[in-house]
Amino acid sequence: MHVFIIETILLLLLIATGIFALTSKDLLASIILFGGFSYFAVLTYLIVGAADVAFTEAVVGVVSTIYLVTALNKLKRRCR
Amino acid sequence: MKPGFISFVLDTAFRVLVPFTLVYGVYVLIFGEYGPGGGFQAGTALSVGVILSKLIQGKEKAQFNIRGSMALILAGIGTFIYAAVGFTTMIFGGKFLEYEFLPIPVHELTELHVWGILGIEIGVTICVMTTFIAIFSALTGEEGPFKDA
Repeated sequence: MHVFIIETILLLLLIATGIFALTSKDLLASIILFGGFSYFAVLTYLIVGAADVAFTEAVVGVVSTIYLVTALNKLKRRCR
Repeated sequence: MKPGFISFVLDTAFRVLVPFTLVYGVYVLIFGEYGPGGGFQAGTALSVGVILSKLIQGKEKAQFNIRGSMALILAGIGTFIYAAVGFTTMIFGGKFLEYEFLPIPVHELTELHVWGILGIEIGVTICVMTTFIAIFSALTGEEGPFKDA
């Protein structure tokens, strides 16, 4: 039962960070919220018992955040 | 490309974090048979070390630097290591990646599985790490199709 409550909280946080990352006006804030989305995905994978998938998601989340910030550095505008 | 962020906090954090990240990548590669981890995760951890070195210290003064063109060559070498282990077992009479036929003198037959899996994981690690570095150097405009952008 406790695990179910934690899973529900994590899924709600996952959905909330996803929606805010999609609707944010600032592109840098959107990228950072996407990093948060990746972090909650890691916690969700861990709590359902997939440690290997969680590890892969953690390292790929870091690298994809670096890539998105580097691509944003090339853009002229910072807002949507 | 800009000459990197000059900052006391970033420099100190780099000196503490990045060597730990590189050692942890090698640990994940070696320990990947018994716990979570493996070639892909180890390669990504190692590439994060090199990419942070390029970001924080700049392109010229980076301590752990691999250039973009060199990274593409190393990605090919990693793929070659994977294929070489596979075809070695075919030459010595087995199927592709059948580790019992590896020409290494061991006491027990199960040790050959360890050596074979370690060989292909080293190949996967080198390929993944240098491919991430090549994508990063193409994004920053150091080399590749966006060079003049």
